[in-house]
Amino acid sequence: MNDPEANDRILRLNAALDGELDAASSLELEREMQANPALAAEYRRLEALRASMARLVQRETAPKTLADRIATLGAPTTRAAPSPVRRPVWSGARALALAASVAAVGFAAGAGLTSLRQSATRGPAAGLVSDFARASIAGQPYDVASSDRHTVKPWLAGRTTVSASIVDLASQGFPLAGGRVAIVDRVPAPNLVYRHNEHLVAVTELPPPADGARVNGAVQTIDGYHVAQWSDANLAYVAVSDMDEQTLADFVAAFRQARKPASEAPAK
Amino acid sequence: MSDLVVGTIAQRRFRDIVPPLLDDAYTLAKWICRNGADAEDIVQEAAIRALKALETTTIDRPRPWFLTIVRNAAISWMAKNRPKDLSYAGDAPDLDAIDPRLGEAAPDPEQALIAFEDGERLRRAIAGLPSPLLETLIMRDVNGLSYRDIAEATGAPMGTVMSRLARARASLMKTLKAEP
Repeated sequence: MNDPEANDRILRLNAALDGELDAASSLELEREMQANPALAAEYRRLEALRASMARLVQRETAPKTLADRIATLGAPTTRAAPSPVRRPVWSGARALALAASVAAVGFAAGAGLTSLRQSATRGPAAGLVSDFARASIAGQPYDVASSDRHTVKPWLAGRTTVSASIVDLASQGFPLAGGRVAIVDRVPAPNLVYRHNEHLVAVTELPPPADGARVNGAVQTIDGYHVAQWSDANLAYVAVSDMDEQTLADFVAAFRQARKPASEAPAK
Repeated sequence: MSDLVVGTIAQRRFRDIVPPLLDDAYTLAKWICRNGADAEDIVQEAAIRALKALETTTIDRPRPWFLTIVRNAAISWMAKNRPKDLSYAGDAPDLDAIDPRLGEAAPDPEQALIAFEDGERLRRAIAGLPSPLLETLIMRDVNGLSYRDIAEATGAPMGTVMSRLARARASLMKTLKAEP
């Protein structure tokens, strides 16, 4: 049964079938088959099997959803290029009013206003609020518009260093609207935008704070926007929204629930 | 994941290379993990790896290159999520396990040929192959990779690839013949 020559003959039959034999070996095998009908019959069976494979086991067409996800990955980066300088389109009275209030926050922070609230808002939140305000004013709150997290995730994966875990909260009333890249400490971070009626909430995922401090997720107000910050074992989160305080709290609760390790699988 | 943000050159290379190979990639992943939805995730993961690699690499032969990434992504996905279905254990007797009596035992070549006509049975028989035989067969007969490419993709010596292929085909013929 372990006759090396018989083994070798079968390997060569297969190699001949696959066009992997050189001319000299092919010739030799042909002669062997002429002399050995059993070998020739085995070759015909292999041929028949391979013909059946070619006919019945064909390459499948990748589903459209997958093709879209892959196309998104390779899509040319237009305005989504992670750049620390954003060029918002300023227009309209509302824009001016918001711009003024954003500037006011900047001024207040610049003036070194010290208070407990100030220390609580230190870190990325203030920057993300003005980011959110500017993106809203520009009418482009996200750079990739999709309610499909399989589209948003690869788009973000190609552009940021934190791998976004996108949770599906549509059933809780917060469908995914799109994704964006925020620049925090000169590093691009994934920014997930969810919708609730006409309001938006942008969740930025950041590396956990170096000191390991956990934040509890209480809603605070920065320049008229509601902001919640929290963290889990892996990441820190900042949610900025124009929703009312209670709705944002509900959103945060739903998001945290969905991101719990036990329920991470569906978020892939 | 990786710590780089891909640039436009990588994305251009990616657009040239990956979309034309998507059907091949999906088919290979689906055969290895035996599930369409999982295959989509695997191919996406492979595409992300490919995109990141293209940042620093130019590719001479895209097909074996990308299918190798897909194969490796599929194997690690299986090892992580369904290790029981990944039958790589007991792979040692690769080289001496071909049954040379196989052809001689065939009662009626015609009957064997008829068995091959049933696509569902054929696919079931393929799905029943141990992982190393299955991936080698699919890469060869469905993806059309050369022996050398398969050897590189699976990290197996050429002789092992040849043996696995012969065993895979012998096993299919045996299964199809044995079933009524």
